[in-house]
Amino acid sequence: MNLLFGLSPFLAVGVGALLLMLAEAFGKPNVAPGVETTDAGAGRAGELALGAAVILVIGAVLSVAVWVAGPESLPELTQVAPHLVIDKFTLFFSFTLCVGGALAALLAGGYLPEHGIDRSEFFPLLLLSTVGAMALSAAGDLLTLFVALETMSLGVYSLIGLRRGSPRAAEAALKYFLLGSFAAAIMLFGLALLYGATGHTDLAGIGAAVRSIGSPGSTVSAGKILISLVLVLVGLAFKVSAVPFHQWTPDAYEGAPTPAATYMAVAVKSAAFAVLLRVLLVGFGDERLASWGAGWPPALAVLAVLSMTVANLVAGRQESVKRMLAYSSIAHAGYALVGVVAAMRSPEAVSAVAFYLLAYTVSTAGAFGALILCGSRGAEAVSYEDLAGVGKRHPAAALAFSLFLFSLAGLPPTAGFFGKLYVFRTAIDSGLYTLAILGLVNSVIGAYYYLRVMVYLYMREPAPGAPRAVTMRSGFVATALVAAAIFVLLLGMAPGFTLDMASGAALTAR
Amino acid sequence: MGLTGYLLLAAALFSLGVFGVVTRRNAIGVLASVELMANAVNLNLVAFSRHHAGPTGQVFALFSIALTVAEVVVGLALVLLLFRAKGDVRIELASELKD
Amino acid sequence: MQSWIPVLVYLAIASSVGVVMLGAARVLRVRARHVPPTRAATYECGEEPAGKAWIRFHPRYYLVALVFVLFDVETVFLAPWALATRALGGYAVVEMVVFVAVLLLGWVYAWRKGALRWQ
Repeated sequence: MNLLFGLSPFLAVGVGALLLMLAEAFGKPNVAPGVETTDAGAGRAGELALGAAVILVIGAVLSVAVWVAGPESLPELTQVAPHLVIDKFTLFFSFTLCVGGALAALLAGGYLPEHGIDRSEFFPLLLLSTVGAMALSAAGDLLTLFVALETMSLGVYSLIGLRRGSPRAAEAALKYFLLGSFAAAIMLFGLALLYGATGHTDLAGIGAAVRSIGSPGSTVSAGKILISLVLVLVGLAFKVSAVPFHQWTPDAYEGAPTPAATYMAVAVKSAAFAVLLRVLLVGFGDERLASWGAGWPPALAVLAVLSMTVANLVAGRQESVKRMLAYSSIAHAGYALVGVVAAMRSPEAVSAVAFYLLAYTVSTAGAFGALILCGSRGAEAVSYEDLAGVGKRHPAAALAFSLFLFSLAGLPPTAGFFGKLYVFRTAIDSGLYTLAILGLVNSVIGAYYYLRVMVYLYMREPAPGAPRAVTMRSGFVATALVAAAIFVLLLGMAPGFTLDMASGAALTAR
Repeated sequence: MGLTGYLLLAAALFSLGVFGVVTRRNAIGVLASVELMANAVNLNLVAFSRHHAGPTGQVFALFSIALTVAEVVVGLALVLLLFRAKGDVRIELASELKD
Repeated sequence: MQSWIPVLVYLAIASSVGVVMLGAARVLRVRARHVPPTRAATYECGEEPAGKAWIRFHPRYYLVALVFVLFDVETVFLAPWALATRALGGYAVVEMVVFVAVLLLGWVYAWRKGALRWQ
């Protein structure tokens, strides 16, 4: 019984996904009389979105419940270890992933019908992909890691391609797919080498084997370990979209339906960071590899600096707000990587990254949601010009947009402020002064393009004669925005409770 | 033949795959090259499994085969989607220079 | 190097079979003075071939093939399971029932969504 309780977040979302699949396939299509359809899911985005959101909220609540009960008090959970490691780290991330998935589902409930994308497969796919993401955050074994990564990614590839008949969407999906499976193959090569070098597939066993290098009688080859480390890092850097493995990001976000882009930005990135932390700290946690002189910290520091700087410089030059948000998500990957580098010295850095990703999830989902609200059928809000004057036409959407942009820029009193504060503070505590200062400078540069959106929202009028984007009304999108706004303000004004939860997560990651 | 021979063969196949991904312009060609890379890894896994005298690597290879097929199915579906939308399956993976 | 000799012998025999057969056909063939067009045509089960061999297939073939491949490859899990069931006991049977049930669910989904319909 305890085992079932411990696994309940995963079971709820997994079984829920299968049930939603059946509900989609066996329901009655909701189409205008006289219209022939062979698709049982036609016209039912609303109810399925609600179902998906409810299932994911149940998953989030169960994650909290298991967290409160304490996974360490459930000895039965060792039966599924190391394939699934259910600890506070996993539960914190599965909470974040469920929240991000639920927000994306709600956004899709409003967005898909509005833009005539009658693809109800979106919701079962979203849930199945979330199961993969949750399993990824729990993966303590290379096999689970790979299976979970593919489960998550295959769902996302399909989500991007759901806009039928659009060459742009099809090309974005195919490009992301080809680069994604290329990165997955590179990573798989790394995983195979890791198994070959150590004889273990569980991360704990690999960690022990790596520590034994240099001691008498050890047959583990340091060269193979280093090569596999590089290959695994390349694969995961692609998933978190760190520069220089980011090229797919703007194209994929632009071509994808906005809720799918939201899901990619929040859930895929968070899950990839979770597995990155676990692989680095448990598998490559050896002092010689996790040091400033050698191993992964300097490599990740380079990725962090490149991601922050390049993304911020390019984001300011974008004309499309969706592309700007894509580059913003790359920059945020850079900030979070600063925390990952700091994790080599301080366990608190892990909780700082976990908190940062929760704050980033609600802020980004909110920003994409507000962007959805600014457009309507046939005239999706894409460019800055489309947003001109929205402050007058739809004050609520503009206000929500501003709040989420404040949070992304890292201004108080929002979630993003505390997220950045904790990440940079752990970096300073670990003696990474240069990295922390570069992060701060970049946050200031980043504020420029977030504020530019606000300038257009409130201080510009649409050019006379220009086609203006008509704002849309949707209960689903509004619900998602209210929920995200509550999170952003709650984490921004009373972060203590969530931070306590996150710091519980840190202790068990190592 | 020892472990090294298998590893060299796998590395060669893997490099051929990487070369294909980088040079191919046809989406199906890129997909086939990625498959070559995945199969090189499977060869590695089975060779390592024999080296370590345990079934783990073979189990890993079986999972990898199944997942790779799932990947191909999704990939071909996307190729089909692109073909229906555009009438062409050529793609430019490095077209990001515009910004 | 010693262990490679059987492989080399095998390769030599295998390739010589092809060479000998093709060579014998060339030596022994009867040359016809006049080749009727029906004899030069592609043999297609006695039917007269229509059109070119390089045609574009209907995308529906791909859809059916994709669904087939997806379910076909799951046997990589069934075969090792069948060999190990006796050793693993009842738990393994339950697990495989769950696995196949999920797979069947996917099949029912494909069927309901019209992926198997030919129109």
